[in-house]
Amino acid sequence: MNHPALAEKFAKDFNRTTWHDETLWFVRQKRDRAIYPIPEFQELRTLASQIKDHTLSNLDNYLLQFEENARKNGVKVHWAADGEEHNRIVLDIIRNAPHIKGRTGPIKMVKSKSMLTEECHLNPFLQKNGVEVVDTDLGERIVQFRNEPPSHIVMPAIHLKKEDVGETFHEHLGTPKGEKDPQALTEAARQHLRQKFVEADIALTGVNFAVAETGSFVVCTNEGNADLGVNLANVHIACMGMEKLIPKVEHLSVFIRLLARSATGQPVTTYTSHFTKPAEGKEMHIVIVDNGRTQQLGRSDFRNSLKCIRCGACMNTCPVYRRSGGHSYDFTVPGPIGAILSPNIDLHKYSTLPFASTLCGSCSDVCPVKIDIHVQLYKWRQVVSKENELPAVKKWGMKGLAKMLAMPKVYNLGGKVARSALRILPHGMTHAKGMNPWAKARELPDAPKQSFKEWYSQNKKP
Amino acid sequence: MKVALFIPCYVDQFYPNVGINTLQLLEKLGVEVAYPTQQTCCGQPMANSGCEQDSKEVYHHFVDTFADYDYVVTPSGSCTYHVRKHYDIIEQTPAVQKVRKGVYELVDFLENILKVEEIPIDFPYKVGLHLSCHGQRGLRQANASEITGDKGGQILTLLKKLKGIEITQLERNDECCGFGGSFCITEEAVSARMGQDRIADHVRHGTKVLTGGDMSCLMHLEGIVKRQQVQIKVMHIVEILNGSQP
Amino acid sequence: MSSREKILASVKAHKPALIDLPVIPAFEGDGSIEKFKTVLTGIGGHAIEVSSKTECQQVIDTHYSDLKNLASTLVKATVEIDTSTSKDILEQVDLAVVEGVVGVAENGAIWVPEANMINRALPFITQHLVLVLDKTNIVANMHEAYKKLDTIGNYGAFIAGPSKTADIEQSLVIGAHGARSMMVILY
Repeated sequence: MNHPALAEKFAKDFNRTTWHDETLWFVRQKRDRAIYPIPEFQELRTLASQIKDHTLSNLDNYLLQFEENARKNGVKVHWAADGEEHNRIVLDIIRNAPHIKGRTGPIKMVKSKSMLTEECHLNPFLQKNGVEVVDTDLGERIVQFRNEPPSHIVMPAIHLKKEDVGETFHEHLGTPKGEKDPQALTEAARQHLRQKFVEADIALTGVNFAVAETGSFVVCTNEGNADLGVNLANVHIACMGMEKLIPKVEHLSVFIRLLARSATGQPVTTYTSHFTKPAEGKEMHIVIVDNGRTQQLGRSDFRNSLKCIRCGACMNTCPVYRRSGGHSYDFTVPGPIGAILSPNIDLHKYSTLPFASTLCGSCSDVCPVKIDIHVQLYKWRQVVSKENELPAVKKWGMKGLAKMLAMPKVYNLGGKVARSALRILPHGMTHAKGMNPWAKARELPDAPKQSFKEWYSQNKKP
Repeated sequence: MKVALFIPCYVDQFYPNVGINTLQLLEKLGVEVAYPTQQTCCGQPMANSGCEQDSKEVYHHFVDTFADYDYVVTPSGSCTYHVRKHYDIIEQTPAVQKVRKGVYELVDFLENILKVEEIPIDFPYKVGLHLSCHGQRGLRQANASEITGDKGGQILTLLKKLKGIEITQLERNDECCGFGGSFCITEEAVSARMGQDRIADHVRHGTKVLTGGDMSCLMHLEGIVKRQQVQIKVMHIVEILNGSQP
Repeated sequence: MSSREKILASVKAHKPALIDLPVIPAFEGDGSIEKFKTVLTGIGGHAIEVSSKTECQQVIDTHYSDLKNLASTLVKATVEIDTSTSKDILEQVDLAVVEGVVGVAENGAIWVPEANMINRALPFITQHLVLVLDKTNIVANMHEAYKKLDTIGNYGAFIAGPSKTADIEQSLVIGAHGARSMMVILY
């Protein structure tokens, strides 16, 4: 995987890149309008950051407290060390559900948005094992039809135009050819998915926040798909990364105030649902997943990436994400936050992601839980280099450059030679696109005869 | 007050005029400025590429060069930010601490150390300000739109003192230009696109002179201005403040 | 060692030294009915003020006379719902009228506890939703809202406006999976 190559491919379509950039910038502006009028917004960010810092520093005890309370509530708690175990647990729960066990015929599951299950590649696993999985979030259903991964964690189909969705729905839902009106397409999805909700045996959701003191968890949606699924099916499986915990109900207020405003600029999501006990005669399961999180907890430079509440604001604000698209990251969580989470999972595979940034710092300033994302990007770059994952040209080039810059005379001479070359060589050679990436879209600066230092020595030396 | 001038490597090589204007402006304001000629670079190019270990010898050279001075003034927010923020990986000797504390971006130095209040210059042009991210978000020299809707900052404050000036109202007041050090080469496609979008914003809103506090952003933007043959003159803020006209 | 033990041991080994939990200060804000109504309108909802709870029936008769299957314990119902109602019947509900307990002015959300939902699926599967709320139970913000709730109970939700999505090109569409419209009757 190589971010620059995928990004270049994306950016080749100039108008579509413009559209993608402007669509996400529109969301960023909605977010601005939602947060500027709140005088305590910056204070809320600080509180959220501190609450998460505290929770992470006492995470084992909070996990135990959460487990104990959830069990008292009649919820079954499962623990998964990695994605594979998570998937196996989910399949076991499904197969052992009283209304399914021993039954033949298809098993149907509806799923509301869970980036964790994307991370664990749950869908293909369940489908291989005879479970029909239907993603019910509209954006997720669209990309599921198209057999694509989500390109954004909050707006999974943000890379698609309504014409694309129209074609997909024409193929899968039989909407009229050429139908591209979002209202009509959404209505078609509503009809299609209502059927799925009613038929489902199992409902799976993610978790936005889990509360240790009550053993409850909170799921936020705008569409209502989580509640519809859960309340119609006999079994509810909630999958959560272990970092979703917060200590008390009162802390929810801070996070609920931050989440939707940061994500989409709404004051709150339409549905903020609090699950504590299963309905009578029904089952509720929680799967707590590690999958590399404890390892990240142990990396002091990177641990606070675990504070992330998955609002996606860093994607919307990132000038690189907006012009390269979510798929260019080739990781479950794209954008700046993905670029600091992914190297923890596979440094080699994701070695270009920490470099997919200008380190402009907008991500850190927009983050509702104050993750110092751009600082971590810089630090991951050092790790990539240390672990020998830099391209050889860069590695040895930088070593040479450092040597030169530590020796003033070599630097002075090197500069002089380079400038002369730029002046003497023909424009076609200095700006050859194959040789000099700078020159593909930009002119080089004029090379002056004298450097400042040369000027100074001539004019100013006492 | 012992003041040294640091002219970043690429400014030294490609924009000597920016160095000359910085020196002249400081002297005009009555500051006695030394320019230690053994200086080279702050070490940022390697460090941002992941090679900060290789940069250490450059850091030491920088500290050795400037350890005798109370202030190290430089026409670059980015280099200033790098010294202040990232020189934490070498031993924090008194000299290192002194240099990290004493390094100042030029406009910050003018406003907060020299307390410059008046700039008696006519500059009757429509000026677009490009905020460099390291100056703005790194050194907090300007408000960030992620935090507040109030625009403002050190460079803007100075610009507004110029007679006859009109400031361009941009659609995106503080979007990154896409230079990003080695990013401009390794991520050429996105880098170029970001720069093109910044220039388009300035063109749409009538910028005639494009300025900023970091020549690196401006070098990248100027490269696009020249390639696209756009009628915008690119000037570092110090050129304007020292009386140059477009 | 089970995964549970392994994970807990690993967390214990990797977590940093204990960091203090901050105290959330009392944030004040505009808890007025006007603010609540403005915000609710902004998120696609709609509020009507009446002078007493008994007027609810009249409001429903006026606004929803065209809807057939109405589920409620507050106004005259045409379809009977309880916790064990089958999906087929739930699916046919056109309008649900249920009572909320706390309204939040800063975001237009209303807390609906399980007990008021009649059936857990009802407020979500109904085509249209009406929430009835005592206007003295409107608070300024989420901090006050959680304080006002004694407990979050077995299940409950803050519901803010009708179901919506913007997943197709960021075009806002009201009526994704849940209620196509949402009205609040303030008494």
